[in-house]
Amino acid sequence: MQDLKKLDQPLSSFVQVFDQPIKGEGKSPLAGAAIAIKDNICIKGKTITCASKILAGHKAVYNATVIDKLKAAGLVIVGTTNLDEFAFGSSTENSCYGPTKNPWDLTRVPGGSSGGSAAAVAARLVPFALGSDTGGSIRQPAAFCGVVGFKPTYGRVSRYGLIAFGSSLDQIGPLTTNFSDCAELLNIISGHDPKDSTSAFLETPDFTKSLKVPVKEIKVGLPKEYFSQGLDAQVKEAISSTADILKKKKVIFKEISLPHSRYAVATYYIIASSEASSNLQRFDGVRYGLRAVTKSLADLYARTRQQGFGLEAKRRIFLGTYSLSSGYYDAYYLKALKVRRLIKSDFDKAFEEVDAVLTPTSPTVAFKLGERVKDPLSMYLSDVYTIPANLSGLPAVSFPCGFDKQGLPIGAQLISRAFDEETLIKLGSAFEESTDFHKQIPVFKEK
Amino acid sequence: MSEFETVIGLEVHVQLKTKSKIFCGCSVDSQSRPNTNICPVCCGYPGVLPVFNFQAFKLATRVCLAFNCKINPSIYFERKNYFYPDLPKNYQISQYQRPLGEKGSLKLLSGKPIGINRVHLEEDAGKLIHKDNYSLVDYNRTGTPLLEIVSEAEINSSQEAFEYLTYLKLTLQYIGISDCDMEKGSLRCDANISLRAKGSPKLGVKVEIKNMNSFKGVKAALEYEIKRQAVVLEKGEKVIQETRLWDQELSKTTPMRSKEKAHDYRYFPEPDLLDFSLPPGLVAEEKSSLGELPLDKRKRLLESYSLGEKETDVLIALRELSDFFETAVKRYAHPKEVLNWLIGPFLEQVNNLEGGFSAVRISAENFVKIVRYFSENKLNNLAAKKVLSLALETDQDVDEIINSHQLTQMSDQGELEKFIEEALSDNPKAVEEYLSGKSQAMQFLVGQVMKKTKGKANPKLAREMLERRLER
Amino acid sequence: MSKVDKKTVEYVAELARINLTEEEKESLGQELSKIISYVDQLKELDTQEVEPLRELQAKGDVFRPDKVSPSGCRAEILNNSPLSEGDYFKIPRVIE
Repeated sequence: MQDLKKLDQPLSSFVQVFDQPIKGEGKSPLAGAAIAIKDNICIKGKTITCASKILAGHKAVYNATVIDKLKAAGLVIVGTTNLDEFAFGSSTENSCYGPTKNPWDLTRVPGGSSGGSAAAVAARLVPFALGSDTGGSIRQPAAFCGVVGFKPTYGRVSRYGLIAFGSSLDQIGPLTTNFSDCAELLNIISGHDPKDSTSAFLETPDFTKSLKVPVKEIKVGLPKEYFSQGLDAQVKEAISSTADILKKKKVIFKEISLPHSRYAVATYYIIASSEASSNLQRFDGVRYGLRAVTKSLADLYARTRQQGFGLEAKRRIFLGTYSLSSGYYDAYYLKALKVRRLIKSDFDKAFEEVDAVLTPTSPTVAFKLGERVKDPLSMYLSDVYTIPANLSGLPAVSFPCGFDKQGLPIGAQLISRAFDEETLIKLGSAFEESTDFHKQIPVFKEK
Repeated sequence: MSEFETVIGLEVHVQLKTKSKIFCGCSVDSQSRPNTNICPVCCGYPGVLPVFNFQAFKLATRVCLAFNCKINPSIYFERKNYFYPDLPKNYQISQYQRPLGEKGSLKLLSGKPIGINRVHLEEDAGKLIHKDNYSLVDYNRTGTPLLEIVSEAEINSSQEAFEYLTYLKLTLQYIGISDCDMEKGSLRCDANISLRAKGSPKLGVKVEIKNMNSFKGVKAALEYEIKRQAVVLEKGEKVIQETRLWDQELSKTTPMRSKEKAHDYRYFPEPDLLDFSLPPGLVAEEKSSLGELPLDKRKRLLESYSLGEKETDVLIALRELSDFFETAVKRYAHPKEVLNWLIGPFLEQVNNLEGGFSAVRISAENFVKIVRYFSENKLNNLAAKKVLSLALETDQDVDEIINSHQLTQMSDQGELEKFIEEALSDNPKAVEEYLSGKSQAMQFLVGQVMKKTKGKANPKLAREMLERRLER
Repeated sequence: MSKVDKKTVEYVAELARINLTEEEKESLGQELSKIISYVDQLKELDTQEVEPLRELQAKGDVFRPDKVSPSGCRAEILNNSPLSEGDYFKIPRVIE
């Protein structure tokens, strides 16, 4: 564990490395494997802060369902990883602990909000990590760090014990260096949970059965709206090459249209912020976490929350509260729910013709620390390709598909039908067979 | 009094009689030590999620059926967002746009129907205790399933309000969904009241009244408000739209201290709970379990047994009591006698029992024996009451009790003779008083006979004998 | 551009129970105005006939049986409170 802390120093991907790792007692193909957990998933008895001052020192009093599952499968939980405060962000710069650095270039962000988990896996500090994804928070950092980041179908994995951001969007998912590990971990964490009313009543298939199987005649769509302006030329080319490699394996590609794509970011930010603003009301200093010293109750709430929440958290709470407030509900929240249906219908129609959709994960490679954090809108737009899968509840994965001229990883994204994670694993593992992008290991240095 | 018409709407919150809370597995036992029935879910901990208690759904459906509501076949919950220390998540999971039941009604005695606008489910908040310069919070109650029942503004007097509440409560008790105990907080009531000129189509300014702790309190508060608002309006002034608290001690309403701005609750559908549809068969099942409702029973009892209204009201106030009455009358077709014993000594004794009627074991057969024996003079009043008390919780056979306790009334003049003489000779002073005109002294002498016969004497006969004796 | 003015910022701050400095009100107002202008593009879409999407997987009816299961973490919950007194959570005086 001392080694781990030392190795992590240049990155700051861990919030805490446990002195005594939590050793699960159980048998599974992953028994004994080390795993890091994003610091917004409850581990009983361990501090959990969501990288926020408002939860400073707070210890979880129960295990998230996924933690119980990991323990029952014999994994070894070594610590918790850094994130944007309450998962609000795409760079892990909004953390009260300071930013995590990208192991491929320490002057750049690892992506967010699961930046700590992505960096720790990319740097080979741990082979497995869990993150959470509301608008791309597993996939985008996976792309920036050159690892596999999987967001399951909404309802595939229990949310019980995940500190809620956007309740209708959040999913916990794996970050690994390859699809084989990803499939194993997915097997373990998936399944219906009676404590989560939104978790699906479905048998978990054995995802490892989808590894390295023929992908002949699987149909993949390329949405024309995703390949227009704003997309970095090198990223565009890497996706093109990805398609070529899969074509060689007899995957059929066709152009499709997802006409409401450009409204996805706006729709997402209204819905996610609205839900978040309500979810974060419980942080008031009464029962846990930070409590400001005050004489009156009104002050207790207003000062605790003023002192405890960071700037981005305040922005989201404001946007959400505004969108739900009297006079604005119809124009913003209700409207967003309707556009959400249109965006989902785009995918439903597309999946009548294809089995999966291939897109870039992010319009650019990892940007520099400090580059976007002062301009919230520019930060939000980096999620333009990942958001639609959350809005539609669909499974999606980002995997390394190349590097740019500066040696920074590029991620490709595949999206498939609800509860069809298998197609993603089939295609991704087939791609891995013919490439070795996923085998590249970063050497920490400034670029 | 009046050129004004009173318009009242009542909002009742009732706790559903489930074992566990509405969204978690904590017990709803209200008598527990503070903060014992709590868990991360009902305390609004980070990362928790609600799961809906089926029994709450069932009981709520039953209520909707009892009031003939239109039941929405698919419901969902919404978040009502506001900050308050008794609300751990600082939002309450409730229903707004699509309540479980709508457009029901409750008929008053006069036959006038009061519309029930909506019946919806929500979770209860915790309890606050206020000390001098701090407050304490107890979350035992948070998450208890609540049903909110909102009437239409069709109640036009404080008496109608009282009646509405009485029959609402009775109906809820009859169908077994709640204890409806205002003292324990399992039933709460707020009122909205406005006055308008008679014949005016426009509604007056609405005032909300809170903090009434009994139905009588509601009636008194409304009466106070009617007077107060009438005075304001007669002066030509406007009634202020506000929330006022009823002060039971001072018998008046006063405006709430904290300025109540119109709340912006930011209702939106609860994303952690999906839709709930009425399971097929549930409506039929619950409908068949409703049984006869209090107003129907009242009407039927009045007609079938020619009883008085006041007595019938006592009978129906407890469903088990009226059921018992009917079973008893089947065996002993003297409804008046049965009624008198039932709402008199029987009820008195039952009210002193730990557990009330639920502790009663005496069968209808056994009970009517007591009534019959009294009527036949086999038992006197005291003895009959004694037998009742012995059989009430045990259902021990009445004849057995009478024999083993030798309670058969002494109605034989020969037997009584010597006790009469003893009473007279032991109490010369009383005799003198009676003879000098103090008739109360006779009561004393009868009592002495009763004492000597250990309560067995037929008091009527004893009195007759004493009077005859002293006339000589 | 839709402007989120100071009055609105103060109203929202009150709803959300967050104190703001004057500078924060200013900067938040500006940032929000920008974001609201951006999300206003949703108005371009005609959604009159569109139902809001609330359920992603059409599967509801998730119930719990009416069983009591104690949490077993009462002590931890009470201990976590920044201020408690005996069996209670302690807070500044609530004015009703």
